[in-house]
Amino acid sequence: MDELKLGPITLRNRLVLKGFEILDRRFEIKEILDEEVFTKLAPTHLGIFSCFGGITFFIFLMQIMTGLLLMIYYVPDTQSAHKSVVAITNDIPFGWAVRGLHFWGANLMVLTVMIHMGKIYFGGIYKAPREMNWVTGVALFLLTMGFSFTGYLLPWTQLSYWATVIATEAPGAMPVVGPLTKSLMLGGPDVSQVTLSRFFTLHVMVLPAATFGLLIAHFLQIRRQGISGPM
Amino acid sequence: MKKEVEIKHLPMEEKKRLVAEGKMHWFFPGHVVEQTIICIVVFLILITLATVFPPALDEMADPFTTPEHIKPEWYFLAAYQELKIAEKLMFIGAWAPKIIGIGMQGVAVGFLFAIPFLDPNPARQYAKRKIALALGVMAVLGFIGLTVWGHLS
Repeated sequence: MDELKLGPITLRNRLVLKGFEILDRRFEIKEILDEEVFTKLAPTHLGIFSCFGGITFFIFLMQIMTGLLLMIYYVPDTQSAHKSVVAITNDIPFGWAVRGLHFWGANLMVLTVMIHMGKIYFGGIYKAPREMNWVTGVALFLLTMGFSFTGYLLPWTQLSYWATVIATEAPGAMPVVGPLTKSLMLGGPDVSQVTLSRFFTLHVMVLPAATFGLLIAHFLQIRRQGISGPM
Repeated sequence: MKKEVEIKHLPMEEKKRLVAEGKMHWFFPGHVVEQTIICIVVFLILITLATVFPPALDEMADPFTTPEHIKPEWYFLAAYQELKIAEKLMFIGAWAPKIIGIGMQGVAVGFLFAIPFLDPNPARQYAKRKIALALGVMAVLGFIGLTVWGHLS
């Protein structure tokens, strides 16, 4: 093979061709690359506000990376959590940067989700046939808020502890389901080690898994329906 | 506007013509390069914020000492302020503040989910959807208003 035609592009680099051959022989990647990447067209009419879904996804990926790094040093134990965050900030090389990125990523992600929702609403993009993508989007927005709520407790500071006490009082006051909801969230009558363990599990396992599932649904719909045209 | 599946199966010559006329561009490299540049800019913004405004770290939690002023993060301020306003409903009964306060937030989330099914208007032009736009502006201003109110009070 001397050259490789992928859509409008012709490749002649021998190393690239060799690598391509190795993969294509096993996985038949030419068809996938041709159909899904190299002959795919994208619209040109998009403005900056159309980018906020993608920006949110990028920040989410950053949160996964910085979150993994923080998890290596963070200790989800009421006696050690605060100390471990102090150590991350002051002692671990570049710990301050990773924590700073995670903190600002979280705040910026809530903002970019809101801007994304505003663009979809005011542009009328939620309309048929994209109704279900609005629904998965709202669910993703709620998951983002869930990430913020559970992540806030983890450093186990005065602010995060008492904010959680107050925030869980409100649902606890609901009739019938209130006490059950509250004890499910807290794992007891008060914010304690059980609460910290629950919030940690939600923050690093349950919410990310749910988010990945919904993101796949969200993106597959866009892939299938395309980006909505101009008004 | 053609559907995505129709665009996908256009003959190659037709696709090249659309690109040459500037009506569309190739996903690769055009779109991918654009998105990569945006990602780099977002990363630069994040690392600048993290360096110039490092997050504060409060003292360790003490379950026996309640701090004087506790306010939620900015994105929960609107919900927090709404619950505080609902406390004024005490005159209806002791049950009213919490149930109406939380109930309203549940209703708001339900409405948010149902928007595509509640809006029967297929038009997307601004001029043809004045009610939806007015409601949207009211919701945004309401959220910002409650957030600022919560911040100041």
